[in-house]
Amino acid sequence: MLSNRLSHLWVPLGLVLILGIMAAVRAPQTFTYVGLAGALLVAAPLILAAVAITPIAIAGRGGVDLSIGPLIGFVNVTIVVWLSENGITHPILVFAYAILAACAWQMLLAAFIIFVRISPIIASLAGFMILQGVNLVILSRPGGVAPEWLGNWGWGTELLSPVLYILLAAFAIWFLFQRTAMFQHIRLMGADERTAYTSGVDIIKARFAAHLMAGVFAGLAALCLTGLIGSGDPTQGNTLTLQAITALVLGGTSLAGGKGGITGSVLGAVAMYLVFVVLSSFNFGAISGFMTQLLYGLMLVFALLVALVTTAPRTRAA
Amino acid sequence: MPAISLQNIAKSFGETRALAGASLHCELGEIHAIVGENGSGKSTLAKIISGVALPDAGKVDVLGHAPTTPAEAIAAGISTIYQEIMVAEELTVWENTFAGTDGLWRRKTTTAEKKRLARETLLRLAEVDIDPDTPVSALPLSVKQWIVIARAVLQKPKLLIFDESSAALDLEATNRLHKEMLALKEAGSCVLLVTHRIAELVKITDSATVLSDGKTVGRLEKSEITEKNLLRLMSADERHSAAGKRENSVISTAHKPALEACNVQLAANAWPLDFKVHAGEIVGIAGLDGAGQSEFVSILAGITPAPAGKVQVWGASTVSHEITSLADAEAAGITYVSGDRKKEGLFPNLSILENFGLALYDRMASRFGVIDRTQLSAAFDDEELRLSIKYGDRSDKITTLSGGNQQKVLIARAFALSPKVIILNDPARGVDIGTKQDLYTHLRDFASNGGAVVYLSTEIEEFLNFADRADVFFEGGIFASFDQGAITEDNLLAAMFGQTKPIVFDEDTGTEGVA
Repeated sequence: MLSNRLSHLWVPLGLVLILGIMAAVRAPQTFTYVGLAGALLVAAPLILAAVAITPIAIAGRGGVDLSIGPLIGFVNVTIVVWLSENGITHPILVFAYAILAACAWQMLLAAFIIFVRISPIIASLAGFMILQGVNLVILSRPGGVAPEWLGNWGWGTELLSPVLYILLAAFAIWFLFQRTAMFQHIRLMGADERTAYTSGVDIIKARFAAHLMAGVFAGLAALCLTGLIGSGDPTQGNTLTLQAITALVLGGTSLAGGKGGITGSVLGAVAMYLVFVVLSSFNFGAISGFMTQLLYGLMLVFALLVALVTTAPRTRAA
Repeated sequence: MPAISLQNIAKSFGETRALAGASLHCELGEIHAIVGENGSGKSTLAKIISGVALPDAGKVDVLGHAPTTPAEAIAAGISTIYQEIMVAEELTVWENTFAGTDGLWRRKTTTAEKKRLARETLLRLAEVDIDPDTPVSALPLSVKQWIVIARAVLQKPKLLIFDESSAALDLEATNRLHKEMLALKEAGSCVLLVTHRIAELVKITDSATVLSDGKTVGRLEKSEITEKNLLRLMSADERHSAAGKRENSVISTAHKPALEACNVQLAANAWPLDFKVHAGEIVGIAGLDGAGQSEFVSILAGITPAPAGKVQVWGASTVSHEITSLADAEAAGITYVSGDRKKEGLFPNLSILENFGLALYDRMASRFGVIDRTQLSAAFDDEELRLSIKYGDRSDKITTLSGGNQQKVLIARAFALSPKVIILNDPARGVDIGTKQDLYTHLRDFASNGGAVVYLSTEIEEFLNFADRADVFFEGGIFASFDQGAITEDNLLAAMFGQTKPIVFDEDTGTEGVA
């Protein structure tokens, strides 16, 4: 049973191991104390973004949150422009703002999906474009200064850093959430919405709850991003959307809903970071960025093929 | 206190009027049935009681509530087993069994307890021991049906609604279901049964409401519930008797069979099967759930390739073509109609006309691939008349039709292909007696015009006066084959249980068995 439930993790786990070994050979500095601290810092926004879109994907209706990247960017630029420049820098206030702002956006998105009955991908595509524009209106080019304590995260020399604690807190939140009946409702809704509805699940609240969880993690992702770059950047977040979706799919969460978890998403994100590390060790010069993209794509195809080959005969036999 | 009191309910879906002036009244501690032809509004009425559909007009009082969502209905003590089997295929047995039972955030039962209860309940109801962690997608239809029943029963409902649900269950299972329903009745609950199985009605219901065209046309009390009364009220009785007669036909077996299976094995070490159907012949296929008959018709229809042996058709007396794929089957003029409409037949997002016509597109397209709409419409007109399909507008979605009318569209699709062999897998599931009789008449016409029919049914009484031969499956092989004269309920039933002689039931199960 356990093996059945965790079977979707074999592919991302294998990828992480293979890439990890390659990274250890090609770029051994990654696995030093400082190297790991840096890696954690750089990978954290992507890991959290991938975690954030997981509950939405589990909730079904082909729920891919395309707006996740610009949302993280939005929280980043508003922390710098609206809070920091107005002297609001207290950690509690900044944390509260980041999480609440991201949750508010997710609530808005959920309301459109539920009450206006727009398909999630269209709603979040519109959200992607709107927030992209809004971010540039708020801050037209990278700049501004993050609150000092947050900017200091960007040194990335300590492994036991706030970024690590945020990641651990995110796992703890997910672990607790996973044990609630609500998580079960969301899974059921994702697997078969009509069954969920007719067996008495409040599918409106369940969909809101999935988006609410996404909001919490998106807020944390934005804090990590702000800490990483130490300033505001209206476009940096945008690239996170496609990367987060790639990580999600690599991690074995089904876009059809009902299946998956954050462990896969985290492994997927780590695998993507390791690709970046391994490629950086080769001297591709100016085209290195293109090579990374190309490899992400190939890895996705490969992962899906492996998953297909390894799971198909088993379902047939059953 | 009345369990249900409905007055003058009206409900329309698009242009299709499902209910207009339906009333129903029943008390706690009784088993009440809703009876009626296809499209008479039975399922809609059940959906209104369970909060899935809201009435356009009329007064609803169910256990003192007028539920507007299924959640409200469940909270009020109303559990519903829907016509379609509502399970989440990806999730496990226990998750499906306890779907929706927890609070919004808090669990009301621990997971360990749920697993234990799910296993125990399924053992009692379905008489199979299933690991509660098995994903539902790996289970046969009958077990899925039991999971849904277990879900409803475990809620200890004050009102239990069954919508034609026993259709996916075999005979013995239906008996266990009846026991469950009687236990609920003993405990003071009300059971509302929506069914086409007349025998079931006569046996266990205390009262019945008869619907016709969305209107309540009568109410029968226990002593009045007889087959005759029901049919009279449903106004299907004339057709029933007219179509019931059949002349003995002589099938020429001198010719090569229209479709033949040689040494087909359903599994690696199963009995090899030989099967023949000739032009002009109607062959019935029966068997208990899981005896292999469904797999066999899939192989005949070219849907699944035979693991061993071969299926062939004869073009001329010396040339045979093997059927190993759907393309072969289509080329040989074999069509397949499934009773599992939701899974194997309907395109719920397409219109009635599109659902009818999509198999014809290839034939009715011009050289450049443009479909001849006029020709398609004309073909639909023909079949619509023949099968008396009831619908609002042909561009309405197929899902606006009642289950029986949806099935008619699928059968029309098969007939329109002008096949040589038509294979039907329990097409009468969830279909009323009037439509069934229509269907039998059409199939017989089809056979007398030189077609061959393979007809799988879960209800053996369908074969009486209808099939030329009945093959009974038992444990993966054809156990017995009966010719027209020998097709009796006793013979078929005995063979389904692997007995060579008709078995004598003790009184309890015997009467319900052969009904």
